[in-house]
Amino acid sequence: MKKDNDRDLFPGALEMMILRTLKRQPLHGYALVQHIKRTSNDLLQIEEGSLYPALQRLLKAELVKADWSTSATNRRVRIYKLTAAGKKHLERQVSSFERMIEGITRVLAPGES
Amino acid sequence: MNWLKQLTSRQKQYSELSEEIREHLDEKTEELIATGMSRQDAAAAARREFGNVSLIEEDSRSVWRWASVEQFLSDVRFGFRILRKNSGFAAVAILTLALGIGANTAMFSVVYGALLSPLPYPNPDQLVMVWSKTNGHRNSVSAGDFLEWKRQNSAFQDLVAWSGGSFSLSIAGRPEIIHARITSPGFFSMQGIPLSLGRDFLPEEANVGANHVAIMTHSLWLDRFGGDPRIIGQQIRLNGESYTVVGILSAGMPDRFESYLFVPLAFTPEQINHDVRWLAVMGRLKTGVTLQQANADMDAVTRRIAGDFPASNKGWTASVEPLKNDFTSRDTIKDLWLLLGAVAFVLLIACVNVANLLLSRATMRQKEVAVRSSLGATRCQLFSQFLAESLALALIGGAVGIALAWILLRVIVVLLPPFSIPTEADIHLNLTVLLFSLAATLLAGILCGSAPAWQSSRCNLSDALKEGGRSDSAAGRHGLRKTLVVVEFALALALLAGAGLVIHSFWKLTRVDFGFRQDHVLTFFLPIQADRFSNPEQISAFYRRLLDRIEAVPGISSAAASTGLPILGSFGSVPFTIAGQPAGDAAARPGTGFSAVTPEYFRTFGIQITEGRGFSEQDVANGMPVAIVNETFAKKYFSGVDPLAQRVIVDQLIPGSPRAGSPIEWRVIGVSHDVRNGGIHDQGFSEIAVPFWQSPWPNAGVSLRTAGDPAGVRNTIAAVIQSVDSDLALDQVRTMDQIVHESLAGYRFATVLFAAFAAVALVLAAIGIYGVMSFAVAQRTHEIGLRMALGADSRHVLVLVLREGMLLALAGLVLGLGGAYFVGRTMNSVLYEASAIDPLAVGSVAAVLFLSAVVACYLPAHRAAQVDPMIALHHE
Repeated sequence: MKKDNDRDLFPGALEMMILRTLKRQPLHGYALVQHIKRTSNDLLQIEEGSLYPALQRLLKAELVKADWSTSATNRRVRIYKLTAAGKKHLERQVSSFERMIEGITRVLAPGES
Repeated sequence: MNWLKQLTSRQKQYSELSEEIREHLDEKTEELIATGMSRQDAAAAARREFGNVSLIEEDSRSVWRWASVEQFLSDVRFGFRILRKNSGFAAVAILTLALGIGANTAMFSVVYGALLSPLPYPNPDQLVMVWSKTNGHRNSVSAGDFLEWKRQNSAFQDLVAWSGGSFSLSIAGRPEIIHARITSPGFFSMQGIPLSLGRDFLPEEANVGANHVAIMTHSLWLDRFGGDPRIIGQQIRLNGESYTVVGILSAGMPDRFESYLFVPLAFTPEQINHDVRWLAVMGRLKTGVTLQQANADMDAVTRRIAGDFPASNKGWTASVEPLKNDFTSRDTIKDLWLLLGAVAFVLLIACVNVANLLLSRATMRQKEVAVRSSLGATRCQLFSQFLAESLALALIGGAVGIALAWILLRVIVVLLPPFSIPTEADIHLNLTVLLFSLAATLLAGILCGSAPAWQSSRCNLSDALKEGGRSDSAAGRHGLRKTLVVVEFALALALLAGAGLVIHSFWKLTRVDFGFRQDHVLTFFLPIQADRFSNPEQISAFYRRLLDRIEAVPGISSAAASTGLPILGSFGSVPFTIAGQPAGDAAARPGTGFSAVTPEYFRTFGIQITEGRGFSEQDVANGMPVAIVNETFAKKYFSGVDPLAQRVIVDQLIPGSPRAGSPIEWRVIGVSHDVRNGGIHDQGFSEIAVPFWQSPWPNAGVSLRTAGDPAGVRNTIAAVIQSVDSDLALDQVRTMDQIVHESLAGYRFATVLFAAFAAVALVLAAIGIYGVMSFAVAQRTHEIGLRMALGADSRHVLVLVLREGMLLALAGLVLGLGGAYFVGRTMNSVLYEASAIDPLAVGSVAAVLFLSAVVACYLPAHRAAQVDPMIALHHE
């Protein structure tokens, strides 16, 4: 039923990146996706739209909250902010992600055997 | 209440989301324009970068949903849309389901109202009937026993007794018979029947002298007294005596009672004995007392009474039974359940039919399914989509069905024989019934939808997408459709066989030899109280004068008075001995039906005297007591001897007294043909008749044979009776034809409904096989064209198609024989002279079904035979 929108990423990766980005500063959807694309040097091919289902999931889980305001370019935007729960969740995710990466790196490293 | 908040805030979430996405696209477009793109290119690029906008929006929204339920509801909505587009198909399917659901709803309303719903009284489970019981048979209760029970029991809050009766109510000099209940004070309070005016009887009104008070139903009050509230405290004339009206029952349910008038039951000292059993007793159990405890208590009480009054009460106990359905005959209960079973069959057949329709439509929608699944729909999604469509279908069918049930219920209530179901039963579409309908609807939706949904979701993509591809799955689907038709025919045969049994049994009943001629006879009762006459001679004189005047009316060939009437019952059962045979214990004497009739009785009813002679005017009070026995009596007790040389000893009847007098030797002077006195079923009972003049009885039945229409002399006769006694009203004036007709009402009810349901099943089965064969022919147009091109003639094609249909029908019929046997066994106990397998009934319904199959198959077969090979082969 659910479409696999972040096909190129592992499940939860997009959410993690969103949380991490929002930890630095609250952003609205468009700015958020531009930031992620830019910082990844466009290495991650994500559809801009796929951000929104992920944001809704985070909203529902109350890891982020959103408020309407006006942007510098005088545009009505919905600014997402990390909640306390979101911060804690991000820390857990990052540490487990790092452990996973470490594991993968070790397996992939040109072994001595 | 998080989910509630979610539900209310969801619309806001959705609109915010849409706005956000719009802003996103705008911002992106502006940015791209800033890099020098045209607005159009920029907008397109923004969308491209964004992805599928509506899909993403849908996915984002779905985060907030209860996924499966809402998905399903939206499937149902889609189902409704699809149905609107295929209105022809939808109409047939909906109508079919509506028939099934409507019939079920209507029948369930009756069963629920009559048998299942709690009685409309406070704490209805506490209400019980208490009967006397001997040898496992329940019996009415004597006044002495009732008073002892009331005094000694510890299980009941209260016990009340009543007896039926009728009063001649005179308003403005015009007498009219009103059915009444003579009941202990406290009856209405105990049962919980409210009064709309006045009060219940007082305890002291159970004494002779204080008992001239009356309560009436709301409807009688409205009809006869114009609903005047000043009636309370006023006097009315009952049987020529003054009674004070003290109460009016509330409107509604009490208006359905058999009695319209109530007077207190006051025992005369003579009535308080233990051997005349004539009362019905109802009680209300104390809180917390169970039926078992009450029965145990009554066992103890009746044992004590039997110890005190061994002559009358030895071997007599009591039986405490729930009031609910205590007055509903087992036959009625069984009939109702059987009819509910029959409509369940109809619904099943309807489901099979709709399943078939859905299957054939699914074949045509194969491409749609293929496209959907190639776009990523999972099998589960497809299955639930198809199921949702059938549910949508069933829901509309259910709604139409409930409307249909409303109409059907009106017909059923008219057909229901009076007083066959409890008077408390209020038959209408209530909440419980509607819940039942909803359950039936959902069940029907799932039943008829599952198989087609399963088939359709199993789609072979490459085959289906190929233009004109003929795939294996289509063949499998047709196999399933054939199986369904076989099942349908089997179900239809089982139901039709049941209906056939009922109809056959009813037919047999209508041609039973009742032992008398029912045509051209008018009957009525004269409910004369015993205290009107001071001796038996006065009774005889009164009836002689009455019969003489009636016989003087032109067009009346004979008139008779009797203590009972055929079908309606004789005087009752009396113990007897045969003179010359050893007289055993008085209490162990056998019983026989007994009636006193005037000489013209046999002529009026055309009852044959097979041996000896009938009564004559010489058989009078001071002559030799004579008797006529029926053939059963002669066979049973006079085998091998000449009946005309026998004497039967029966105690003298004392008018107005329930007690028997001294024994009399009645000399047998004739043997009469058996008459069904106790009802249409009554058969093989011994009967004795004695001359009315030798054993007169105050309240008698009068019957007269007319030359013309018996109902036509009704008013003339009423006038004649009035000329003899202006206070006397006729009770239950009916022709004998009417009496027989009414006594068949219960059977007619079951028969008509069974036949109607079976007819529906027959039509559905025929439509089913027609649908399958037409579709098969349409699918095989190419093949048939090819066959014809290769030399098959149209006759050959006709036979080919017909044979296929016939084989299906035959397979169904063979399968259905098993079902028919099962149905027959279930119905056996209810039916009149029917065995489980009634070859005539089963044979004829099987023939009817088969014929309908032939007709239903002939149409498509004929169409197939008309196929033009050129067109058929060009077609694809």
